Amino acid sequence: MDIFLQQLANGLTIGSMFALVALGYTMVYGVMRLINFAHGDMVAASAFVGLTIYTQVMGQATSLGAVIVIFLLTAAVMACIGILLERLAYRPLREAPRLSAVVSALGASLVIQNGIMLIWGPRMRIFPELVPQVYWDLGGVVISLIQVIILALSLVLMIALYLFVEKTRMGAAIRASSIDQDAARLMGINVNSVIALIFIIGSSLGAVGGLFIGLYYRGITFNMGWQYGLYAFIAAILGGIGNIPGAMLGGMLLGLFNAFIAGYVSSTWADAFTFILLILILIVRPTGILGERVAEKV
Amino acid sequence: MKALQKFGYPLFFVIMALLPHLLDSRWQAVAITFLIFTVVALSQDITLGKSGMFNMGQALFFGMGAYTSAILNHQFGWPIIATIPLAILIPAIFGVLLAGPIVHLRGDYLLVVTIGFNIVFVQVLQNNLGGITGGPNGIFGLDSLSFFSVNLTSQLAVYYFAFLVLLLTLLVMRNLEKSKTGRALHYLREDQLAAESIGINTRIYKIFAFGLGAGIAGLAGTVFATQYAAVSPEAFEFIQSVLFFSIVLVGGSSVPGILIGVFVMFVLPEIFREFATWRYFIFGFAMIAAMILRPRGIVPATFGKIPKFLLKGGKDGVE
Repeated sequence: MDIFLQQLANGLTIGSMFALVALGYTMVYGVMRLINFAHGDMVAASAFVGLTIYTQVMGQATSLGAVIVIFLLTAAVMACIGILLERLAYRPLREAPRLSAVVSALGASLVIQNGIMLIWGPRMRIFPELVPQVYWDLGGVVISLIQVIILALSLVLMIALYLFVEKTRMGAAIRASSIDQDAARLMGINVNSVIALIFIIGSSLGAVGGLFIGLYYRGITFNMGWQYGLYAFIAAILGGIGNIPGAMLGGMLLGLFNAFIAGYVSSTWADAFTFILLILILIVRPTGILGERVAEKV
Repeated sequence: MKALQKFGYPLFFVIMALLPHLLDSRWQAVAITFLIFTVVALSQDITLGKSGMFNMGQALFFGMGAYTSAILNHQFGWPIIATIPLAILIPAIFGVLLAGPIVHLRGDYLLVVTIGFNIVFVQVLQNNLGGITGGPNGIFGLDSLSFFSVNLTSQLAVYYFAFLVLLLTLLVMRNLEKSKTGRALHYLREDQLAAESIGINTRIYKIFAFGLGAGIAGLAGTVFATQYAAVSPEAFEFIQSVLFFSIVLVGGSSVPGILIGVFVMFVLPEIFREFATWRYFIFGFAMIAAMILRPRGIVPATFGKIPKFLLKGGKDGVE
């Protein structure tokens, strides 16, 4: 029972990180029908940007205010890079065949990943201890302050995003653009700014996710974006890609699944089990758990 | 294009046949790698370019062929030549079995599932399933090529083996394009719904394309295992699949385009070794630029080999 509760806590933590990153994939896919392969590397880059802001800008301060500033600055930097990415690599290809945009996304991913390597070096860096190491022992289940912060902040961000998309005018514009870009344009929605907005939101959520990865796992490497990005992307697909609550559900589900596999089976087979789960779910529900059944456009 | 096909290919074959005699042993090795990766990229082209299925796991079948040869040679003592039939058949069967349940998935979902297959495969190799894959180190110390007790140890022999495999692959591709199957694949790539409505069994053809591509990649794997006399999991990681995927699309899914793509991706880095750390950074930019400037690839494929008897009804009838 102790293992169960412990892995439940760990799974929810990992799951909320997956969910934050998955939101970036799912929102871009929802509007542009494009797998933004560079998103995982953006997440990795944000951990390194956070590291540099901590050492260079904040002078290694770890007060609550300083940590908040580090999060906000990193999110702002990544949002700018996100807009730049969309302008340079995706916007010129909006009318091109779909696979061309996929290759461009793969290219952007290589550029960002190797850009990190050229700037920060190929070796693993240790992320600073921004949050004090506090642990609570709740009858055999150990929970750290970091886990509580990750879970709470992720939930707040996800609820805020959900309300933004469902209740505001700009949210309605995002939903309209993801249903039909041309019709949205005819209704007076500026689809270009919607796409820019999506890259801002997706990249900042990814930045928070990247900082969480740094805080939780401590070791950060230039090529970790593939790993986390792939998991987050699987989470988005599990929930039904393009569907925002789906990404949250998929992230949590995948985090829990991974934690229980690691706890009860073996962590050396974690990837294999994850993909087997994905394949099984796609065979039963080809568009994910919450995904609507859409006919291919003719 | 016509002139290129008439003179370009024979010229290319003659140059490639003479090439190893002009190179030292390091560049011979690079040339062999070029030939092997061209074959894998062409096999990827059958599923991705010719049939339009988003397959991003071709390194799986390449690796499966290499490991089949390595295991049969190392554990069971088969000569490399004798492992060839199984190194083609086993990946082809796996291609059919794996594709069976997933070919109906929409494009991007298929892409992720094939990535998944690739990653599971590498994890199986690394965890040494059944104790025969050699774990993270792989298998080394394979025999060199031999043919009826004639031992062909030299690198030159491996080169001509690879060259022969490339010629065979090109022959298969050419025949495929001229055949009924090739036209069916092309049609289902252009418009699956229309293909289905004129009675093409898209499911069967898609699975067939997977099997054929997997078999060719498996054969390339045997050559790869022979070249290094070793196999190890990292040569078949999913990043390799990404490279093959990109080569086909940047090249434009045509033979000249793929040759250029493989050359740029695998030969240029050997020439500019001092820029090794910049390699992927520059490739990334090149991929973006190539797609923006030529969204259909550097040398877009043309599908023009419609047999004469079909054209009888008039020029407008077919195209």
